[in-house]
Amino acid sequence: MNARPSPTQPCQFGTGGDLFGIYHAATGHPKRAVLLCPPLGQEMVRSHRIYRQLGDALALQGCAVLRFDYYGSGDSAGASNQLDWTRCVSDAVTAAAELRRRSGCDRLLGFGARLGGAIALESADDAGFAELLLWDPILDGSAHVARLDAMQDALWRDGDRFSQPRTAADAANQWLGFPIGPALKRQLGHWRAGPAKVPVALLDSQPPAPPGQPAGALDATIRRLQTAIAWDDLERLEHAVLSPELIRAVVDHVRGSA
Amino acid sequence: MTTERACRFGRAQHLIGIIGLPPAPAEEGRVGIVVLNAGMVHRVGPFRLHVELTRRLNACGYPSLRFDLSSIGDSGASNEPRSHEEQVRSDVADAINLLRQHAGCTRVILLGLCSGAQNAHVAACTESRVAGAIFLDGYAFRTFGFRIRHYLPRLLNAARWRRFLDRRMSPPEDDDSNIRFGVHYPPLSQVRRELAGMLERGLKLYFIYSGGISGHYNHPRQFRECYGRLAAHPGASTRLLKQADHTYVLETDRQLLFDTIETWLAGNFPTPARSSPP
Repeated sequence: MNARPSPTQPCQFGTGGDLFGIYHAATGHPKRAVLLCPPLGQEMVRSHRIYRQLGDALALQGCAVLRFDYYGSGDSAGASNQLDWTRCVSDAVTAAAELRRRSGCDRLLGFGARLGGAIALESADDAGFAELLLWDPILDGSAHVARLDAMQDALWRDGDRFSQPRTAADAANQWLGFPIGPALKRQLGHWRAGPAKVPVALLDSQPPAPPGQPAGALDATIRRLQTAIAWDDLERLEHAVLSPELIRAVVDHVRGSA
Repeated sequence: MTTERACRFGRAQHLIGIIGLPPAPAEEGRVGIVVLNAGMVHRVGPFRLHVELTRRLNACGYPSLRFDLSSIGDSGASNEPRSHEEQVRSDVADAINLLRQHAGCTRVILLGLCSGAQNAHVAACTESRVAGAIFLDGYAFRTFGFRIRHYLPRLLNAARWRRFLDRRMSPPEDDDSNIRFGVHYPPLSQVRRELAGMLERGLKLYFIYSGGISGHYNHPRQFRECYGRLAAHPGASTRLLKQADHTYVLETDRQLLFDTIETWLAGNFPTPARSSPP
């Protein structure tokens, strides 16, 4: 096996080429294909590096991989305030079709961190994922909305960030650097994970959830990660999320289920 | 239909970037905007700042390229035995070649935040096709005036004295006055000399500072205190956006930044649509 993955291919796909993606061709003929669904907002920016590392690592294992940005995020078309939950789910379906077309693989594994995990779960039927691998996924939309609101409230009061006092109006209708439309907040607030029709593996770096949380509804196999990721720490808002342990866990899982 | 195009380019085909084109075809010789990475954040920029900015400038008639320097974001390594500065200059040269190929640009304006401003400075020193640069929280040296403005109010504040004494009782932290936000500064004399060289070559330079670096830059007057006669050069402009943080996390601050940049560009590098009478 080569020590280096093949060069990645930037691409544009979907209606009018609105969606941006990076395709990692497999080293050799692809044995299977993995769609990496990114998180939303600042968690997407923080996770960019580890998604690239994951794409490279999986390509070396003989997997074809597609990373992509939803409409209204990253390099895809659309303004940030046009980000829409329903559109994100349909973009994941479009990206799955693009990955099948490029790789020639029919059997896809869907991977997602945080809200990327929620989107992979929600799009699983239409995208035709054979299996899901979710990393610290958001399973309760209303709790996540409450967390984001609280962090946004703390952000504009942060005297270390701002040398002059700011107001709630300056920070209104935004979450941690990104404008949000009223629809997204409503959509997320109503979303809660339900059972999936395909096998789900959960990679969990967070403290155990109290009983009654929707993780139970998933019927997932759970693998605990030792390295806890500080997703909700405002002081680490602009720190990249890195976890060699996560990459090893995903590669092991894919290798084991091949 | 999007007017952006994803590209792999560069001398080793190792760079990834997004070309943005104005709605109307750009004529040969149009000035383009090249946006460099802010620290290790990939080309979309902090909170998607680079995406929003380049799209707005495209709408004003400026072609653009936001891209990842070697080994940052989605770009690979060029595997050349070169210093960091040589690497940056070569990457920027590759970016300008791409912008010329796709949009006919023969001259560019470099834009960068923090370490991106430092890299823009490095490239602007030697690259003849650079017509201007916009430095966001670029080089800012503490001056006597800075210290007076910074420390005098603190001397009269009892709570700050208590915190100061607490810190004195704690183990000392490493201090390197030449490091700002993890970026190593060259000596002021070198920066002055290099900026003077750029202005002599006819470059237009815009220095925009944010309130997020108030521990290093705290008044519009500090620019003159730092750079002396260079500050009065007609090619140099400066602006302090005191309410903004270092990475423009609030939408209202980003919009103010975009307005500021757009106004400066319109004054110094008007597009045909803007320069012709209504």
